[in-house]
Amino acid sequence: MKITGLIVTILVGGLLIYAAADFPAWSDPNSPASTYLSPHFIEKTMEETSVPNIVTAVLADYRSFDTMFETTVIFSAGVAVFILLRTFRRKEPEARHYRHVLTGVTMRIKEGKLPPSDDFERIDTLWTPPDLIIKTVCRLLIPFIQIFGLYVIAHGHHSPGGGFQGGVILGASIIVLAISHNLRTVVKRMSEKLDAVLCAVGVLIYAGTGALCLLLGLNFMDYSALASVLFVDPIMARSHGILIVEIGVGIAVMCTMVWIYSNVSSRGRYEQGL
Amino acid sequence: MSHNYPALIVVVPLLSALVISVAGWVNKRLCFPIAFAALAVAAYSSVGLLFRVLDEGVIVYKLGGWDPPMGIAYYVDHLNGLVLTVVSVVALLNLIASKKSIEEEFPEKTGPFYTLYILMVTGLLGIVVTGDAFNLYVLLEIAALTGYGLLAMGEERAPLASLNYLYMGTIGACFYLLGVGYLYIVTGSLNMVDIAGILPSLYQSKAVLAAFIICMVGVWLKMAFFPLHAWLPNAYTYAPSAASSLIAPLVTKVMIYVMIRLILTVFTPEFSFNVLAVSDAIVWLAVIAVVMGAILALAERNNLKKMLTYIIVAEVGYMVGGAWLGNRTGMTGAILHIVNDALMTLCVFLVVGNIVYKVKGAGFDDLKGLFRKMPFTMGAFVVGAISMIGVPPTCGFFSKWYLISGAIQAGHYGFMVALLFSSLVNVVLFFRVFEICYYEPFSDHHGHGHDHHPEPMDEAPLSMLVPLYVVGAILVLVGLYTGDIVDQIIQFAIPKGLV
Repeated sequence: MKITGLIVTILVGGLLIYAAADFPAWSDPNSPASTYLSPHFIEKTMEETSVPNIVTAVLADYRSFDTMFETTVIFSAGVAVFILLRTFRRKEPEARHYRHVLTGVTMRIKEGKLPPSDDFERIDTLWTPPDLIIKTVCRLLIPFIQIFGLYVIAHGHHSPGGGFQGGVILGASIIVLAISHNLRTVVKRMSEKLDAVLCAVGVLIYAGTGALCLLLGLNFMDYSALASVLFVDPIMARSHGILIVEIGVGIAVMCTMVWIYSNVSSRGRYEQGL
Repeated sequence: MSHNYPALIVVVPLLSALVISVAGWVNKRLCFPIAFAALAVAAYSSVGLLFRVLDEGVIVYKLGGWDPPMGIAYYVDHLNGLVLTVVSVVALLNLIASKKSIEEEFPEKTGPFYTLYILMVTGLLGIVVTGDAFNLYVLLEIAALTGYGLLAMGEERAPLASLNYLYMGTIGACFYLLGVGYLYIVTGSLNMVDIAGILPSLYQSKAVLAAFIICMVGVWLKMAFFPLHAWLPNAYTYAPSAASSLIAPLVTKVMIYVMIRLILTVFTPEFSFNVLAVSDAIVWLAVIAVVMGAILALAERNNLKKMLTYIIVAEVGYMVGGAWLGNRTGMTGAILHIVNDALMTLCVFLVVGNIVYKVKGAGFDDLKGLFRKMPFTMGAFVVGAISMIGVPPTCGFFSKWYLISGAIQAGHYGFMVALLFSSLVNVVLFFRVFEICYYEPFSDHHGHGHDHHPEPMDEAPLSMLVPLYVVGAILVLVGLYTGDIVDQIIQFAIPKGLV
């Protein structure tokens, strides 16, 4: 089997090298990829969409339809992880462990009883190491990470960035919270239901914007139809349309990351997590 | 609204899948009606679109209002109009038939299940309707990802089988993407029609040759063409009924469509059949696929569902072989067989779904006495089976007829013999199942010969039987109207250059 694999690998590698002989030279300005469509995008993007960042314009306007489905791919991954991992019917353990937040004392409480005061947090292991430094540093960092994430989403028209990148940064900030504290802390701020619904809402903002263009009488995803709703000229409407869908992408990516993380890290049980 | 049909076919299921996902958290009972409405709209638009194509010819829909090749465009011609109709109708019928089993098997996860189901259909419809090589890849990802999730929800061994499929499927999709990348390097375009226009001057290019080989191997992996089929039987056998009766009829057939689209539109028949002298070799590969699929099915003596999955492997061989015969009749047979095989596979998998629903298993031991216990389900099974064998007037006969005529016309007698061999094997396979279901008494009553009283009838619910009978009726109707389908639709789907 190993030898078969080796032979196949060599054959495929050989084929790829053989084909590379007919490629245009490295960074050749006359290669088909640089001469066929690129000039149109470089010359016309600003006047057709009023977006200075050509990459964003191609991604979220000229080929916006692909990007919508890329967002859907991420959403599908979230749903697939959820449906495979999440377990609902589970026997509650007879005793629960609670930790006193200030002193770190752990106590075991029988089922049906509550801890003596609100200063206790529930844990699933017998002992968790003290993590004051990690918690404090993360607390300080998270707001800045989130502001940066919002900036990346909002500034995608002008600089590198956009919904995917910003959404990942925002999602990472929440995952940092889950790692430094625990999953319950995150779920307290953003419930599982809210997270799952926002995943769908993010993609819905994207696809809904496209559908709105269709209802306003133009083709699907033709943002210039939004001009009458946003009270701007059709070219500017394209720019605003891109911003709207980027926000949708940001929400979808952020929530899906958190959703996948929560299910994977707690094996679908939504407990303490990592 | 009718000029927006191409967009509606994909967009309505997509939006509904998202709404279902939200509705699943609010009230689970909302999910099915939304899913049903979405697929009904998709089916209605597909049929409407097919009729418009028949009237007006190719329909181009520019997404975002951008002219191709700058933006993405949908091209709907006779070929994908037909396949779109089949995909949406099969998905709709299966949705109705599977409602009960979905709600029974996944009481807490009906919402996500319907979400994945509708997203998968969105992906398949998108693959078929698009005219952009990269857009096709994105939709392929959606159809694959949701498929892995759905298939892994089955029995104990399902996750492992699905993981295996995930590896193979990902490699297949990557190969396709790599091929598209190669084409982009040499042409600078992603639009299928545009690529086809640029390619003639590049027929001798090694990069185009490599792109062709890589794309084909990727697509073959995804359709489980014989040596690359190893992922399919287990993945489909252990899957939940609702998922396997959606995926088994559609995924392999849609991938065949992609292959035919690559041959006819992207690389053009001139390049595929004349510039490259590979068609003969590929038809021989198809011969091996048909024969091996038949033998593997014959060797499977435990599980009805697994036996059917090996028949799928053989049927993939039919269509690949038919498409690569390089003549009009063979191509007609391959396209007609996409339609017929999707319907036949749906029919027999729905029957398996009914059996699993009632008997909780599809092993050959579970089948004993089923003709008495579930006479209506088994009646539909007989229709599906004789269509798979290829008995007129069911549709299976006619596509096989075209394939065999194509083989004779091309002088490829090996393929003809393989088709006949596989039909004979199907006779053996299905009559073996009939024998078990008809003559052998229920396993519980074994050894109680004298005080044996007949098992009471315990038929599947009407919501599962009605779609099954609709499929059975369509099998016969498509068979009776084969002439019209070929003359009105398929004839125009094949370029005039191909004789």
